Amino acid sequence: MAILALKSRPTEITPDADKSGPIELVRYVCAIGAMQSAAAIPRVVPITHCGPGCADKQYMNLAFYNGFQGSGYGGGPVVPSTNASQREVIFGGADRLRELIESSQTVLDADLFVVLTGCIPDLVGDDVGSVVRDFQKKGVPIVYAETGGFRGNNFTGHEAVTRAIIEQYLGPWDGVREQGLVNLWSLLPYQNTFWRGDLEEIKRLLESIGLKVNVLFGPDSAGLSEWRDIPRAQFNLVLSPWLGLATAKLLEERYDQPFLHLPVLPIGARQSGEFLRQVAAFAGLPAEPVEQVIVREETRYYNYIDGFTDFYSEYWWGLPARFAVIGDSAYNLALTKFLVTQLGLIPAKQIVTEDPPVEHRDSIREQFRAIDHDVSVEIDFIEDSYLIHDAIRKADFGHKPPIIFGTTWERDLVKEMKGSLIEVGFPASYEVVLSRSYVGYRGALSLLERIYSTVVSHSA
Amino acid sequence: MARKLKQIAIYGKGGIGKSTTTSNISAALAEAGYKVMQFGADPKADSTNTLRGGEYIPSVLDLLAERRRVDAYEAIFEGFGGIYCVEAGGPQPGVGCAGRGIITAVELLKQQRVFEELNIDIVIYDVLGDVVCGGFAVPVREGIAEHVFTVSSSDFMAIYAANNLFRGIERFSNSGGALLGGIIANSINTEFQREIIDDFAARTDTPIVQYVPRSLTVTQAELSGRTTIEAAPQSAQADVYRQLAKRIADHTESKVPTPLNPQQLREWSARWADHLVAAERAEAERSREIA
Repeated sequence: MAILALKSRPTEITPDADKSGPIELVRYVCAIGAMQSAAAIPRVVPITHCGPGCADKQYMNLAFYNGFQGSGYGGGPVVPSTNASQREVIFGGADRLRELIESSQTVLDADLFVVLTGCIPDLVGDDVGSVVRDFQKKGVPIVYAETGGFRGNNFTGHEAVTRAIIEQYLGPWDGVREQGLVNLWSLLPYQNTFWRGDLEEIKRLLESIGLKVNVLFGPDSAGLSEWRDIPRAQFNLVLSPWLGLATAKLLEERYDQPFLHLPVLPIGARQSGEFLRQVAAFAGLPAEPVEQVIVREETRYYNYIDGFTDFYSEYWWGLPARFAVIGDSAYNLALTKFLVTQLGLIPAKQIVTEDPPVEHRDSIREQFRAIDHDVSVEIDFIEDSYLIHDAIRKADFGHKPPIIFGTTWERDLVKEMKGSLIEVGFPASYEVVLSRSYVGYRGALSLLERIYSTVVSHSA
Repeated sequence: MARKLKQIAIYGKGGIGKSTTTSNISAALAEAGYKVMQFGADPKADSTNTLRGGEYIPSVLDLLAERRRVDAYEAIFEGFGGIYCVEAGGPQPGVGCAGRGIITAVELLKQQRVFEELNIDIVIYDVLGDVVCGGFAVPVREGIAEHVFTVSSSDFMAIYAANNLFRGIERFSNSGGALLGGIIANSINTEFQREIIDDFAARTDTPIVQYVPRSLTVTQAELSGRTTIEAAPQSAQADVYRQLAKRIADHTESKVPTPLNPQQLREWSARWADHLVAAERAEAERSREIA
């Protein structure tokens, strides 16, 4: 009998993109780090079923040494954990989890609990679903997501948490759609140091053209009422290169809800205007009022840029010309677009670090190849900081010191290269970030302030 | 001076007579004056039943389920002939990680230096035969058992399991793990069964330590909660076990097995199956002729 698979193998097998191996200086955390995604929803409390140290490590990495954002209402040190040890490994941890959920209900005031599993229960095969379903049957607002470390990182964990809430908390729906209501799926909470301010600015922009926004995460979200409202929205807006796409597709399947995918997070007037026009067209909004909003925003924006121009043209001898970005695809793409099209800087090296799923990599590459009508950028997907720094050292920055948009991990490298560093991503341990934003019209101005304050103070 | 401790592991397919054989070896060794410990490494925790009148003992993991710290001695019970009986135990079927349980139980006894303190001559690990994960391979890793014996009948499935075990031993042999002592050929009553197991042994360059015939004496002894050595010491079967135990006690040189690869194994068993069919047909024709 011939050996015939249902699908034939490609004749040439290229090595897998995600080569596993040791990673120096990490740029994301474990899948269970998505406990902070749950905590990013007002009054939602994650419950972790994992070994000692797992939850604390996610919190300290994501929410502390990354902009010192703080843990939120139910995140960080509040998060209950089974603290699974040898006993739970050998005998299974289902009973311990049941006990923890019961006690958590007594001690913590939450609108929803999200159980996240770590490596131990996922390896041992704990039937977490059956434990959680028992509580769900009793009417306890609780869902679970399997986020063992070997399943992916905090990006995939975030998608698992989102899916869990949609599938387990939101019931079937057959109501009437509310025109002009949009669900926003964008930056990864906490991983992106500036997500709170950024979501606020995106929400402000969308509202300015007459939309109502379920922002879903962060201080500008109304919490679970927004989540319950998800099926009612006219459409889903995925504002990132790939994160959130799976969620939008799930909602399309489940509620027959359309989605608009815009890979570029808008920074500055040009991109923000384009963003508003694209969203308005998809939402079926009349163009005129949108144009009025754009004019109003641009008037303010260019008023400041006008002042900035004195500096930008006069200080030419001290300003960098070539830049590199090392970071998650969302910010990397947004920054590269802004710096090239609005400031005329030359991209020297763009490295995407969040290990995006293989199926999204080609579309991310395409976005960078179309940065501007005359600028095409070839990116690298690298996670290991040794290799990243090696690539940066080998990049051509011309005769001026480079400007690097990266993380705290680039501190020593940038010193060595005598360049400037703007910390724009995880981990940003030398930035204290409250509501600062780098996106939209207003965020772009803050970004310019940050970039050029860093540059001019370089020799101070 | 402490005597040199000898640790052996006995593997084999489930239901093949591993615990029966192991318990009889332990009993025969105890009878011969050795200080023996039998360590049941199977979540079912019934390896040592026939050494203790058919009764179950609390397992190491039963105790560990109650308390985080366990004194190993609380899990050691004396059985027939002063044999120290230990059961690793494990989780309920379908939950937790039985493999990790075995590792933990073995480590606990090692850490608390029980073998040295009890001045044991021989430890026999009776291990679940399908080496499904790392936990069940622990007894053959470096520093635990030195010799592995496998119990196998002439059934193909039992032989497959034995061959799988050989592959495991081959793997660990590079890192100082246990080596193969040989096959204990169980339930071998006919010439034909003997030919099959002999052929497999020859193909894998493995010695047969002992042929053990299927015997009602064993069943009767088991049903009375005892080993054959204890229940029918004068029987021929008891002598078979005594002989086996002596060989194991005297055994010094084990080696790296040469398992068959899946293709070889398939061809090998297909050839025997054809042979078997032909033999049965000849037998049927002969009885028709007689009729």
